[in-house]
Amino acid sequence: MDTLVLLFNLSLRNIVRYRRRNFFLFAAIAVAVGGTTLSNALIRGWQVDMLETAVSALTGHIKLQAPGFADDPGLDKAFAADPDIQLGGSVALAGVALRINLPAVISSERETRGVALVGINPAQEGISFYRDFVFEGQALTGSADGRLVIGKALAETLQTRVGRRVVVIVEDADGKSRERGYRIAGVFDAPIQWPEELLVFTGLQAMQQSLANSRLPTPVTEVSLVLQEEENRQLVQRELASKHPELVVTDWRQMSPQIAEIVDIVDATMAIWFVMIMGALTFGLVNTLIAAVMQRTQELGMLRALGMSDRLLLTQVVLESVGIMVVGVVFGLVLGVAMVFGLGDGIDLSSFSESVEAFGMSTLLRPVLNLEDLFLFGGLSVLLGLLASYFPARRALKISPLMAMNR
Amino acid sequence: MTEFAENAKATAPVVECRGVQRIYQQDSVPVYALRGADLTIHAGEFVSLAGPSGSGKSTLLNVIGGLDAFDAGSVSVGGVDLAALTPAQLAQTRLHNVGFVFQAYNLIPVLSARENVEFILQLQGVASQERRSRAEQALHSLGLAELGDRRPGELSGGQQQRVAIARAIVTEPVLLLADEPTANLDSKTTSELLAVLRDLNQQQGMTIVTATHDPIVMEYTSRQVTMLDGEIRQDGGVAA
Ligand SMILES: Nc1ncnc2c1ncn2[C@@H]1O[C@H](COP(=O)(O)OP(=O)(O)O)[C@@H](O)[C@H]1O
Ligand SMILES: [Mg+2]
Repeated sequence: MDTLVLLFNLSLRNIVRYRRRNFFLFAAIAVAVGGTTLSNALIRGWQVDMLETAVSALTGHIKLQAPGFADDPGLDKAFAADPDIQLGGSVALAGVALRINLPAVISSERETRGVALVGINPAQEGISFYRDFVFEGQALTGSADGRLVIGKALAETLQTRVGRRVVVIVEDADGKSRERGYRIAGVFDAPIQWPEELLVFTGLQAMQQSLANSRLPTPVTEVSLVLQEEENRQLVQRELASKHPELVVTDWRQMSPQIAEIVDIVDATMAIWFVMIMGALTFGLVNTLIAAVMQRTQELGMLRALGMSDRLLLTQVVLESVGIMVVGVVFGLVLGVAMVFGLGDGIDLSSFSESVEAFGMSTLLRPVLNLEDLFLFGGLSVLLGLLASYFPARRALKISPLMAMNR
Repeated sequence: MTEFAENAKATAPVVECRGVQRIYQQDSVPVYALRGADLTIHAGEFVSLAGPSGSGKSTLLNVIGGLDAFDAGSVSVGGVDLAALTPAQLAQTRLHNVGFVFQAYNLIPVLSARENVEFILQLQGVASQERRSRAEQALHSLGLAELGDRRPGELSGGQQQRVAIARAIVTEPVLLLADEPTANLDSKTTSELLAVLRDLNQQQGMTIVTATHDPIVMEYTSRQVTMLDGEIRQDGGVAA
């Protein structure tokens, strides 16, 4: 223990002794680690944003539906939201939304389009992109509001506007089409395009009452859940599935498999990127450390001549290399975190707006710092420092005590 | 010869070399650095190894100190047969039984004089308080009490060599080996350092072997050995 303190002290002083050379090494490590931290924060931000976009598209982290509804949606596959859906125990929820979501045909005096008619309780839609809609005219006032809100793009196609009437046809529980007139309360502008074209909303309670033929008093076709922590997804999914065997419980990965795929690829890409950068850096570190050992051949030879054991000699070289790595990594993490905070609200991508939206992203790229990432990069870097010290350590062991001699 | 050395002769020798050969292969040409050297050193002796450059002085010291291997003959130090030891055991022997003073690069540049002296005790596993007091004492006995906090770079050549001697004796070795310890010093400092070694030998009975090509060294030693072409040519007044 005592000896370890001494060796640590010795390594530290040797690092300070060659401060000019080590400064460049620190700088290289710091820039690499800092740059990786920043780019990873941006990639993570993109990932989080993509997930958020996927989840907010009326999916939620987890959705409950009747069996067969996904393939053949219809009111015959509605279920009762009462008694209350038993929610995932101790796991904290961000929100729950009950909905009726049915295929429908909407007609103005001029045009007809296929859409989805969604009955919602606006108070519950803080978990979906509905919260981000900007309305012209009025938003739905509540679950009992029997008016309709439609997207701006759809309003243009239908050549209609706020205050006009439209006709919506849906299939009732008995399989017969029901036609109903609605007044347009408001026209919404959504952050992404497709909901404007394909979704129309009305109050859930009003819709339940208008579907007189339903065999249930308060039918819904889906319950959508958003969790505080996405990681709890599978736990909640299992729990709900066992409590509601009559329903199908799916998670966002099953509902948006392409996005799940991209999220996974991003994880892998980050790891590869990190390994490549730090790998290149490790070569530089190995080089410098070998040079450092050779530069001190006589000094190390003297230590061996005095009777320092192989083990202690190795420990000294390893401590020095890990020491250099740790200092560089700490500077790098600080630098990276500072840059992330420097970016503040993120990078505005609105000039690429069209193509960016096509990727399912919003136009502001917000960096996201993930503590786990930071620990992982820090830990892996130190591990690399340890591996890098293998070569100089081997070199140091080859130094014979005779090399302390005055030849 | 001192009284101490006279008495010690009765006991086992500190160093016993018999027919030691050391052959280096240089570009596959054998170089005979030692061609059968015989040398016996008793406790309390202060021996100078003289001889022209290339005569094998350093090689003999290195073999005795367990720094270099040998190809034939036998070497024992403090009663231990060096041929039987593994490299790790040789390192232990050096650490505990032999003190070294080299021509240069004796000290660890990033440690102070005191830390340099304490360092070797730390390698031996001596507890910190004892380390402290023994290092202070060794520095004091070499007139370095005031300089303990200085790093090697802040000391003169003579002071550095005295720190090296302090480090060599702080472990109380059976033998002190010094290879050209004065080669980098001016004549005044050389005399001072040799006086230090002589005092060490006469007052503490330290057994010392020093290699040198400087004739002045022989004025301080109790026994003068001369080498030539890898052999002992002359031992004391007697031709070997
Ligand atoms: N590592 C070595 N490789 C080859 N030859 C060596 C080596 N060490 C010493 N020698 C040779 O051995 C002989 C004795 O050298 P050395 O013991 O250093 O002499 P001295 O110290 O008396 O000057 C010289 O001829 C020297 O060139
Ligand atoms: Mg020599």
